[in-house]
Amino acid sequence: MTAIPVPRTDYAARAQTRRRSKALAATAVLVLIAVFWASPVLILVGTAVKTAADFDAHGASSLPHSLTFANFKAAWNVGQFGTAFVNSGLITLVKVPTGVFLAALLAYSLAKLKINLRRSILFLMLLGLTVPIFIAVVPVFTMLRQVGLIDNIWGLLPPYLAFGLPFEVLILTGFFKRIPHEVIESARIDGASELNIFLRIVLPLSLPVLITVAVLDAVATWNELVVALVLLSSPGHRTVPLALLNFQGQFTTDFPALCAGILIALLPILVAYGFLQRWIVSGLTAGAVKG
Amino acid sequence: MIADTMKTAPRTSPGLPRQLRASRLARNGSLAGWAFAAPALIVYLAFLVYPALTSLSLSFTSWNGISPAKTYVGFQNYVNLVHDSVVQTAARNNLIWALVTIAVPMALGLALAMAVNTRVYLRSLIRTVLYMPAVLPLVGVGTIWGWLYQPAGVINNLLTDVGLGSVTHAWLGDSTTAIWAITVPAIWVRTGFPMLLYLAALQGIPAEYYEAARTDGASAWQRFRHITFPSLRATHYIVLALSLIDTAKVFDLVYAMTDGGPGNSTQVMGTWMYFNVFQSYNFGYGTAIAVVITLVAVIVGIPYVRSQARQLV
Repeated sequence: MTAIPVPRTDYAARAQTRRRSKALAATAVLVLIAVFWASPVLILVGTAVKTAADFDAHGASSLPHSLTFANFKAAWNVGQFGTAFVNSGLITLVKVPTGVFLAALLAYSLAKLKINLRRSILFLMLLGLTVPIFIAVVPVFTMLRQVGLIDNIWGLLPPYLAFGLPFEVLILTGFFKRIPHEVIESARIDGASELNIFLRIVLPLSLPVLITVAVLDAVATWNELVVALVLLSSPGHRTVPLALLNFQGQFTTDFPALCAGILIALLPILVAYGFLQRWIVSGLTAGAVKG
Repeated sequence: MIADTMKTAPRTSPGLPRQLRASRLARNGSLAGWAFAAPALIVYLAFLVYPALTSLSLSFTSWNGISPAKTYVGFQNYVNLVHDSVVQTAARNNLIWALVTIAVPMALGLALAMAVNTRVYLRSLIRTVLYMPAVLPLVGVGTIWGWLYQPAGVINNLLTDVGLGSVTHAWLGDSTTAIWAITVPAIWVRTGFPMLLYLAALQGIPAEYYEAARTDGASAWQRFRHITFPSLRATHYIVLALSLIDTAKVFDLVYAMTDGGPGNSTQVMGTWMYFNVFQSYNFGYGTAIAVVITLVAVIVGIPYVRSQARQLV
């Protein structure tokens, strides 16, 4: 490039090089920050694959000198994580679609249908965003005890549905309001029933926002602790957070196995996050920025 | 993309007379509206509103959770609450929690968003890593950090390695440091959310503002002070409101890391309520604690709820 002595080009090229090296420097700094930010998880992984002897000799923060999967095997056998994955998976698979569907029906009614008390219903529903679940656990516990749903994962369903609704309704009402009336009106003129309009036109149009809400809801459901702690007791009925709490209490000295167990418990959500993070990011920003 | 098309679509239908539209709406009536609303409303009323009101009425009894009789005790639980030294500790801890786990994540989130918003490579990967802690179950976060904080754990070892051996500490075992130690993983978890929102907002500030300011010779601080910060006002409000609502719900990290100890020094209102109800069987007293947290949370949250409701109606 220096072979062609054109000052302007040279200047532009140098400016571009400078910009690029500035971006590289900024990237390097941010990568360091990101590694630091991820370090608790990285240390966890590093420790989980170490033999006990390696851990005793070199501690947690050194790179592994050994590589073993025995810790995972030990942790898996003690932690009963398989059962917990099934329980959390079942409740999430049933709760999320049900909750999103119920919320969508209500949100559509508030956004597009004729309904009296619209303002009051919306306010009452959104007030639920602020309500801590502590206020409900005692009566929910006694209600479910009466019908024999204590220590049964399906007992989680009613409170999870109720406490999930406010957020879902907030996001979905905002989205449905932006669907043009004409789309719905012309379907009405063609004689479509209200339910058909909702199922065949509104829901398909709203697929991206429905997926976003479902993903956020699934993360919250999978991770929930308070209600599960109150309602569930026997080992076979534990969800992932409960299994992890119980596991933590059993491995107080074998740190590589403790780390392996934590990692097993976190793995599904980490993998899911890797695949679904775009929905999470867009959902959070859309929900909050619009509001 | 669908949403964008919709936003620009005309609001009123040109082909359809207003009268006809109105009459069709009236004929479909509010019956459909209520039919659509009913399932969610029933679930909400039965499992959120009704339990909340039941808790309120239980808080005026001395019920133990088992006996059929629920003796009415008036405001006695609330009087006891004021004199309960653990409630005082818990209220103080909730306040510390609110201040630290709102202010620090907001400031850190803004700083990180500004750093990520410059010309960098790997932006979305970096953003993904920084938000990652927020999706982990809090019990998992608490378990990891509880292990890092062990007396002979990673944090103390690192301090010793860098010559700060005198600072090493039983972070969670000492009642003066324990609650502060628990706020660190909370900050780790909570920084990603403001970062995402600030990043989205920063990308919406027109570059011309900065160019004009630079032409006028504004310093970096002046550009931040007079362009960036004011442009983020709506985001500050949303982050603050959502964080305030969330802070009353603190439970998982405390429960997983210290179980309220040592000596009840890390109890927060949520955990103290849980202990009273499910370990001491003071259902009446426990629900009174729940009523107090809920009232505070709802009152603090009402301005946000109103602003959201106004936009949606």
